[in-house]
Amino acid sequence: MITLTHYLTLTGILFSLGIVGVLRRKNLLMLFFSTEILLNAVNIGFAAVSKYYGDLSGQIFSFFIIAIAASEVAVGLGLLVLWYKRSGTIDLDSLQMMKG
Amino acid sequence: MKYDDIIYLLPLLSIGVGAIVLMLLSPIKKFSIDKLSWVALFFLIVSFATNALNFGMVYSIAPYAHLFSYMLVSDTFSGYFNSIIIAGGIVTVLVGTHYFDKSNMLRGEVFSLLLFAVFGMLLLVQSNELFTSFIALEIASISLYVLIGFQKNNVRRIEGSFRYLILGSMASIMFLLGVTLIYAGTKSTNILNIASYLSSHKTEDMTLTIVGGTLILITFLFKIAAFPFQNWSMDAYEGAPLPITAFMASTFKVAIFGFILRFVLVDFHELKNIWSDILFYVAILTMIYGSFLAIFQTSLKRMLAASSIVHTGYLLIAFVSIGSIGESAATSIIFYLIAYFLSSMGAFGMLSYIASSDHLRVTYEDFRGFSHVRPYMAAMMSIFLLSLAGIPSTIGFIGKFYIFIGAIESGYTILAIVGILATFVSVYYYFKLIALMYFYPSPEMKGKIPPLRGIPPLVIGIMAILIIWGGIGNTLVSYFPGIDFLIDTAKFAYQSLFMG
Repeated sequence: MITLTHYLTLTGILFSLGIVGVLRRKNLLMLFFSTEILLNAVNIGFAAVSKYYGDLSGQIFSFFIIAIAASEVAVGLGLLVLWYKRSGTIDLDSLQMMKG
Repeated sequence: MKYDDIIYLLPLLSIGVGAIVLMLLSPIKKFSIDKLSWVALFFLIVSFATNALNFGMVYSIAPYAHLFSYMLVSDTFSGYFNSIIIAGGIVTVLVGTHYFDKSNMLRGEVFSLLLFAVFGMLLLVQSNELFTSFIALEIASISLYVLIGFQKNNVRRIEGSFRYLILGSMASIMFLLGVTLIYAGTKSTNILNIASYLSSHKTEDMTLTIVGGTLILITFLFKIAAFPFQNWSMDAYEGAPLPITAFMASTFKVAIFGFILRFVLVDFHELKNIWSDILFYVAILTMIYGSFLAIFQTSLKRMLAASSIVHTGYLLIAFVSIGSIGESAATSIIFYLIAYFLSSMGAFGMLSYIASSDHLRVTYEDFRGFSHVRPYMAAMMSIFLLSLAGIPSTIGFIGKFYIFIGAIESGYTILAIVGILATFVSVYYYFKLIALMYFYPSPEMKGKIPPLRGIPPLVIGIMAILIIWGGIGNTLVSYFPGIDFLIDTAKFAYQSLFMG
């Protein structure tokens, strides 16, 4: 029997994977992949909770999250193309030229 | 279906329609930047006027409640914040058009994106539901990411935008995780339902909800650039074109505070004290770190960006004292937001007008002897800096006064002391510019300084007058609306939160 706890554990595992990805990866493309994993982890959580309560709004939210994730990545990839044209690399460390 | 509810949605609708109309108009060659700016201004002013219709009353209405299922709310609180946000949009368009015209950022889409950002912020303040506010936050943030990186031949813009995007998307994921946990804990994402759940259950039973609320608070701290999450703001503010920096620094912060005040005051009314300890240290560290950053900057833009972190710290002082003195602390936050909005918008606007013709005048040294060449501009700039530093007879002083008094009343004397020390330090970096402008002989000014003509100086001048009016107005003419009017309206705004 798969219960809510299992789904939420899956959410937690995926979320930790995503966080590790964001922190460790130096490739900007991989960084975007990691944020997608994070968003999908949250999606699973929403859908599972929605099923548990028998309340559909959570599943509607996960549709919205998919749309928002797509628009965010669209902007991100657009910037990535611009950055690659400028610097010839998609390494995260190449962003360090601006002194903070 | 009630048709008169539409009145409460008109500010939002007008901006949304305006954004789409501008998007359709901008590829047409016949519409120059100038014409598009008038279209944008038209929609902004319609929105401002419809918003002002309900000003001065205490009301709280959920427009078309069965259609939107109580996801939107329109009350005095949202009306108050809406008027600041829309005013921010208007000032940005009026002052920024000159800058967009002069720089080769010559694309009309800027105004469309700006209106989308304003739309997102209005929705954020009006949303009564966590998921709606997430979507609103994303509309505003994504528009801002694009606005920062819009001038794509400039590498700094792209970089600033990129950093903001990466860190901002992390912050919004934190927000989403928080919403999931609250949804799992309370079976609802509506702010009023969550509030009734929280007041009917014991604190031990709602660990999930508290963790969720803390995650949302982290997003909030990130977006207002508080201490551990402040690094993006320097890059994003530095990278963005000046009018956009002005818009981000003043208006976005107002919108975020509008949302989080509603969230904390309505929802976590009983649990406010849980966060006081964390926020206490966050406020102190934000002020100290921001002051250190601001002292060592040579570029004025970076100095103003760093000082906006310090101002976040002042606002957090009042936010901490909400736990014990709810009403007066919330009122002082709302009032300080107006004061900060006027001063920083003015300072950034002035800078963007001066920097629009030549892109030279950006550091302290460039302003050496400025007052001998452009006395009125130097005077306006000094007024904004005095207000930012909180010198009496400006609106900034009264804002700080209420915040520090509130902190002492609620027992956080240490916060008030640190705040006052940070103010002393801030006098150094603000007055350095005033001293350079006035007390040094003027060498030949390099480049061309724009004359004191046209709309931008007029708008900036009006803001300078408003700052002085806010500081001394009531003592001169007692029956004319001044500072008391603003504070009373802020109180109404607070009361309207608890009517729903």
